[in-house]
Amino acid sequence: MSASSIIEAVMLVMVAVSCWLGVLGMWRMREPTQALHYLSLPATVGAFALTAAVFLKNGSNQASWKTLLITFILLGINSVVTHASARAFRARELGHWRPREGDPIEFVEDSSETEQS
Amino acid sequence: MNWWLWAGIAVASCLIPCADMCLRGSPERRLVGLEMTSIIITLAMVIFTIAFERIPFIDLPLTLAIMSFGGALVFARFLEHHL
Repeated sequence: MSASSIIEAVMLVMVAVSCWLGVLGMWRMREPTQALHYLSLPATVGAFALTAAVFLKNGSNQASWKTLLITFILLGINSVVTHASARAFRARELGHWRPREGDPIEFVEDSSETEQS
Repeated sequence: MNWWLWAGIAVASCLIPCADMCLRGSPERRLVGLEMTSIIITLAMVIFTIAFERIPFIDLPLTLAIMSFGGALVFARFLEHHL
């Protein structure tokens, strides 16, 4: 077994482990908003490890570059979809998504609004 | 069997808990399950493409990665107002 096929195998194990950790984390979380965090594990660690494994196996060919493209798409999509989902959960619960008094998050006044008022 | 097939089977078996998330619980939990499912299927399709040496099939996970973006956003939008 050559060094590159060993590294390839290690990368594939990383893909499988990151997918399973993400899925189990999502599955175990009680709140959907908490479960959203676990989408990022396969979408980042899993995707990058898979890209490395494909490059090791196929070198620089169509499949490798398209896998890299898939990784960047998953990276970008995952953050947008997670934010949109969390916002939808909040709007569904409160009727709007804007911060409220007493929220556990810091509310930073928008400077342009304060100047106008 | 090679490493890629074993990895593909391991990643594809992640769909079992994803199915549980999609089929049970509140609509919010189902949406999270749907989003995770699309990520897992995208990765599994890439792995099987390489495992079976069918390089032209790499376009399928590429298309799924792009299309799952729209799908998840539409569901999030519906969840916010209409469901």
